[in-house]
Amino acid sequence: MSKAAASMFRPKKLDLSGFVNTRLIRDHNKRNAFEQMEPERQALRYLIRNTTLPQRVRAQAQLQLSQMHVYTRPTQIKNRCVASGTARSVFRDFRLNRVRTEPLMVPSD
Amino acid sequence: MSQGRILDLIKAQCRIFSLTFNPQRLRLGNKILRQRLRGPALAAWYPQKTVSFRDLQNTYKPLGLTTFDEAEDDREEAIQIAKLRGKGRPKKKRTAAESRSAKKKK
Repeated sequence: MSKAAASMFRPKKLDLSGFVNTRLIRDHNKRNAFEQMEPERQALRYLIRNTTLPQRVRAQAQLQLSQMHVYTRPTQIKNRCVASGTARSVFRDFRLNRVRTEPLMVPSD
Repeated sequence: MSQGRILDLIKAQCRIFSLTFNPQRLRLGNKILRQRLRGPALAAWYPQKTVSFRDLQNTYKPLGLTTFDEAEDDREEAIQIAKLRGKGRPKKKRTAAESRSAKKKK
């Protein structure tokens, strides 16, 4: 696979609503790229893990997987706050960071 | 029960429940095939775009219906004020020669 620019994963028109940030859009693009290439990645991972296959096939699969674009890797995905784009202390259940969840946590009288 | 009988039993079990019969415990990588795809769940993290005011405007414009957009109105007013003060945008340079002459002036 040839080297490709990250822009190939960018949609022509922004398909997000709410808070939008350059880093947030980038993360969204990575998520989409991963979703698109996940079956291929899993297939290659299967070839690599299957010890009954010829060593050559497995090595080729390893090479192909490592040469896939970085954006298709799940480790590139970072959970960001939906309301502020912050990457730190984001609660997975709320998809909000610490500061944005505080107002929700006020006990009701 | 003999070893062979047990193996046959396991083989039949695997056939019925569509499992892989692997008595040698080889690493076949079936673990990967059993995993569920995480992509759709991960891609749905950020809220997707819904209908906006702009979409509403665009759908009703061909029908001849006008909509009032306060933000757009404010913007146009601000531009008019800026133009009166001589702070409007410069004229667009259409040709290469025009843009070159504009650079020379500076």
